[in-house]
Amino acid sequence: MKVALTGNPNSGKTTLFNAITGRVERVGNWPGVTIEKKEGVVKQRLHQEKNEIIVVDLPGAYSMSPFTSEESITSDFVKNEKPDVIINIVDAANLRRSLFFTTQLLELGIPVVVALNKSDLLKKKGIVLNVELLAKRLGCPVVKTIATGGSNSGLKELMAAVVGAKGRQQTAPFNGAGMQLTDQEAERAVDKKRFAFVDKIVDEVEEKKISSNGQTKQDAVDKILAHPWLGLPIFALVMWTVFSISQTHLGPFLADVFVGWIDSFYVWAEGLLAAGVSPVLRAILLDGIIGGVGAVVGFLPLIMVLFFLLALLEDCGYMTRVAVVMDRFFKRIGLSGKSIIPMIIGTGCAIPGVMAARTIKNERQRRTTVMLTPFMPCGAKLPVIALFSGVFFNHAAWVGTLMYFVGIAIIVIGALIVVRITGEKNVRSVFILELPDYKFPSIKRAAVSMFAKAKAFIIKAGTIILLCNAVVQIMQTFNWQFQVVAEGAEHTSILAGIASPFALLLIPLGFGTWQLAAAAITGFIAKENVVGTLAVVYSITNFIDVEEFALVGGATTVAEVMGLTSAAALAYLMFNLFTPPCFAAIGAMNAEMENKKWLASALLFQLSTGYVMAFITYQSGTFLTTGAPGTGFLPGLIVVAAIIGTMAYLVRKGNQKAAKKLVLTV
Amino acid sequence: MKRNEKAAASLAEVQLNREYVIHEVRTNDEELKNFLFTLGCYEGEKVTLLSVLSGNYIISVKDARYCVDKELAEAIIV
Repeated sequence: MKVALTGNPNSGKTTLFNAITGRVERVGNWPGVTIEKKEGVVKQRLHQEKNEIIVVDLPGAYSMSPFTSEESITSDFVKNEKPDVIINIVDAANLRRSLFFTTQLLELGIPVVVALNKSDLLKKKGIVLNVELLAKRLGCPVVKTIATGGSNSGLKELMAAVVGAKGRQQTAPFNGAGMQLTDQEAERAVDKKRFAFVDKIVDEVEEKKISSNGQTKQDAVDKILAHPWLGLPIFALVMWTVFSISQTHLGPFLADVFVGWIDSFYVWAEGLLAAGVSPVLRAILLDGIIGGVGAVVGFLPLIMVLFFLLALLEDCGYMTRVAVVMDRFFKRIGLSGKSIIPMIIGTGCAIPGVMAARTIKNERQRRTTVMLTPFMPCGAKLPVIALFSGVFFNHAAWVGTLMYFVGIAIIVIGALIVVRITGEKNVRSVFILELPDYKFPSIKRAAVSMFAKAKAFIIKAGTIILLCNAVVQIMQTFNWQFQVVAEGAEHTSILAGIASPFALLLIPLGFGTWQLAAAAITGFIAKENVVGTLAVVYSITNFIDVEEFALVGGATTVAEVMGLTSAAALAYLMFNLFTPPCFAAIGAMNAEMENKKWLASALLFQLSTGYVMAFITYQSGTFLTTGAPGTGFLPGLIVVAAIIGTMAYLVRKGNQKAAKKLVLTV
Repeated sequence: MKRNEKAAASLAEVQLNREYVIHEVRTNDEELKNFLFTLGCYEGEKVTLLSVLSGNYIISVKDARYCVDKELAEAIIV
């Protein structure tokens, strides 16, 4: 049997879904976390039914008439797929609005079970509900639930009610469908009656001791966190804390320990392969697979700490307040305050970040957000940042911080350019967002989310990254005649042959060697590959513990092997961070933009940005340190000038379009 | 409508923490109007302005709180 989970945004549908299926889908304390339907099987111990119960988690909706695209998924599903039972999750503290949607669901002729969720908060809010009377008035079972609670949270009772409701004839206490709906006005008149009907029920079943319209503690907290002047520094401080814990304190500490284990494994495997194995196979297994994958996996602790902290942040209700604070600034650059949420999520991983943009109603704002979100350095780019700041800048914390600020600066400039190119600089859009209650973030759920991310990361390292490293190692070992390349003749290898033409383009950026070009190319498959490929092409296995490396072969070995100046290293970092993200993220961008022209423009824009940023960094850095421009200054300058010229031309064209529109509307 | 009542004000101009009755939602965007309707924000319903944060207006409608921007607050006439 099939059961659909429906309800208002942020009523706890996915939390309930996770609780009854044991899955770990993304949850967060703001409206619009779920943007796609997800299926799962209800745990057997929660019900007596012989056949399995499939439950479908749907994005939140306020009514059957959709406003944003993810809301339409919900109404389409319950109308077309005819589930056996609908579970309507209702925020117990907000019946007056939630039951509007309930009455619409009751009209579909499908049995409905109402789950009064967050019922643990009723007492705190001074609300007493008469559940029996509510069930009688609605004509369907009503069960109190606490989706975040452990045992005794009403889940068994809910599933019993669902099994019992199957096949039952559902009658609607308020039937709007039977009335004449000739036009918009008539429809609205019916819906007004619907709200009046809901109000009547709520007046009967709800007893309130505290008025919810007055000022509460929430408002006092809001006054500080969303203060016009304090709001922004507080946000900066929160994000800085997240990154400094994950990247300079706890993360690297754990990574050191972890890398020690990987090193022991390498030594153990080396001993095992000592005799009777061909040196080529040995190199592929040891340097290609264990070395390359190990270099990437070594950064796992950093990423886990980052995801843990982001999960806490998403759970406490702060995200919507950041949107409130940022709206003022983002409006000025043609985005919505809501655009900040995809960007914060994007610091973990760009894919869910890009998908989170779906709740933005305005099409251009949504597409621009999708285009700019990957500029936030994501978890997979962390290893690249950590590696370069460790090797070239003596673990300076400013390198990581600088990358985030450059990312933010590019987002601001990018948004300004896009709004002008599209000719919509005078178009205004409205901002409306429901503010959820603050709550204490759950350590348990953050841990669950962290381990789920860690698992995904290990799977990726064991599949795509392992494969890429093996291929890179093989391509590096053999030349075009499939002979093993001799020592000192590495430039004749297949890998060098493929990467060298690209390396030519990179000369003005300061890193025109085939090794670095190869790493940048594999970076498009997955950003973790940059570190993996560098480990393979330079035969370095331990990137994190540079001190240990120093003991082996001199203080600046890694830097020397790569042959990069500090300016070129920083430029390489910029190039990897600000060119298009990995293939998976590009796929997500394609899905959310729904327009090939936008996708192509976004990729071109990202590629241009990476190139221009790297050029500026390398050339100005070289000029400052040596007093002369770096190699390939002139050809690079021509390319950069062409890029900037094209943008300026497009902006001018867009501005003319905007001016024309203004004339038309006046 | 009574003629001598004081001039209608938008939500952007009202006092904090006082319950008002929505008189009109003034927008050409039918879709937005419908959306506000499903939240219970339409003429005849009660609304309270809770605070003004960073240029945005925090309003309470039907026991839920929303953040709306100045433009939208100005479209809601009480």
